[in-house]
This record gives sequence, structure tokens and C-alpha cells, in this order.
Amino acid sequence: MSLADVQYVPFVYPLPIWVQPWIWPLLLLPLCLAVAIVYKAVRCNRVSLVPREATGLFITIVLGMVLTAAVLEGLAAFMG
Amino acid sequence: MSSTHSSLASSPSLVGLFSWLVPGSGYFLLGERVRAIIAGVTIFALFLAGIFVGGIRIMDPPGWNSDDPSQSITSALIDSPIAQLSDKPWYVGQILCGPVTVATSAVSIHLAESGVPSSHSRSWEIGALYTAVAGMLNLLVIIDSAHRASAIKSQG
Repeated sequence: MSLADVQYVPFVYPLPIWVQPWIWPLLLLPLCLAVAIVYKAVRCNRVSLVPREATGLFITIVLGMVLTAAVLEGLAAFMG
Repeated sequence: MSSTHSSLASSPSLVGLFSWLVPGSGYFLLGERVRAIIAGVTIFALFLAGIFVGGIRIMDPPGWNSDDPSQSITSALIDSPIAQLSDKPWYVGQILCGPVTVATSAVSIHLAESGVPSSHSRSWEIGALYTAVAGMLNLLVIIDSAHRASAIKSQG
């Protein structure tokens, strides 16, 4: 039995998102958000600071990844 | 009740153990309820998101071979533990999420034996990445909560 033969059941079968390739990069966002929240929950002495600090870290991570992707894309285009 | 609470909170190893059993619960023992909820809910949500994206079959414990389901996991792990772990290194991250990893692995094996196919390619990679990162974040929480308990203990 292959995945193409079965009806989608959440949590049992993988999310059928392979038909829309633009979704794949967006799946990095929840990961970055979780890393930012837990990291700041650990680091901040005052819990009330966590939402603001985590938002700042989340934006920093995402901008860093976008910048890195742009540089690598430019490098790949330049080299060949 | 309060003396039990304080004795638990003053033991870094117990706080670390509780953090592994239920992510965030170590902070709860230390009286930091909001921090416990933030960390615990985020780690659980990321773990569940991994299974949501990749399907339950991303839980693939070392020692279990889908091509030979009759093979015992325990005997495979005893015979060649390093080889089994190096074959599926992401499980080291996943197991740091605690017993929920063992429970979902058991469900995964049960469904595999019922004929549920495994995911592959990006779905599998992203699902495994989410669950392994959730475990690594829980390691951060385990270390931090144990460190805070240690600080409380040293203050007397």
C-alpha cells in the first residue's frame, strides 16, 4: 500500500502538501518560532519579557535565513 | 504538601527527571508556573506539529526494522546498540521529549504492522526535524530547570 492509495487521516499520514511546493519554506516558520519562544523562556529572568524578546529573536532568525538564502542564491547564479 | 514541594524543588536531578517526563514540569516544581506552561506547551506543540506534517510513521525507534517486523527491538538493541543508534540518530533528539516519544513510537510500530505506509522525502525530513528539535529544546529546559534547582539548593 502506498500513500497515493490511502485517504488522508491527520497525524497518521503525512500532510499532503507536496502538490504546492511554495509551502515547504514556510514550514521553517513554526520551527523558528518554537526555538525563539523556548530559548527566551529559558533565558529571560522575568517571564513577562518573553513575548517581546521571543518576537525579536524570531524576526532576527527569519531575516538571517532570508539573507543567507539570498546570498547563496546570488553566489549560485554568479558561479554558474 | 509544601515541604514535599520544597524537597522536590531542592533536588536538581529530580527536577531534571520531571522535566524529561513532562516537558516544563521541572519549572512547575520550582514554582515558575508561567515559564513551565510556555516551555511545555511550545515543546509539545512542536512535537505534535512534526507528527502532523510527517505522519506518525516518522517515529522510527532504533532496533525496529519495518522489513522484518518479527525481529525483537530489545535483542537488536542489545546485540548492536551503537549500530542501531547511528542508523537512526534523530531518535536521540526525539527521545529527549520524554515518554511521549516512547508512546508514539509504540503507536507507530502498531500502525506499521497494520499496513500504514511510511512517509518519505521532505514530509519525513521535516517531521523528524520538528520532533528532534522539540527534544533538543526540552534538553535546554531540563538543564536550565536543574540549574535553577541547584541555585535554590545552594541558597539553602
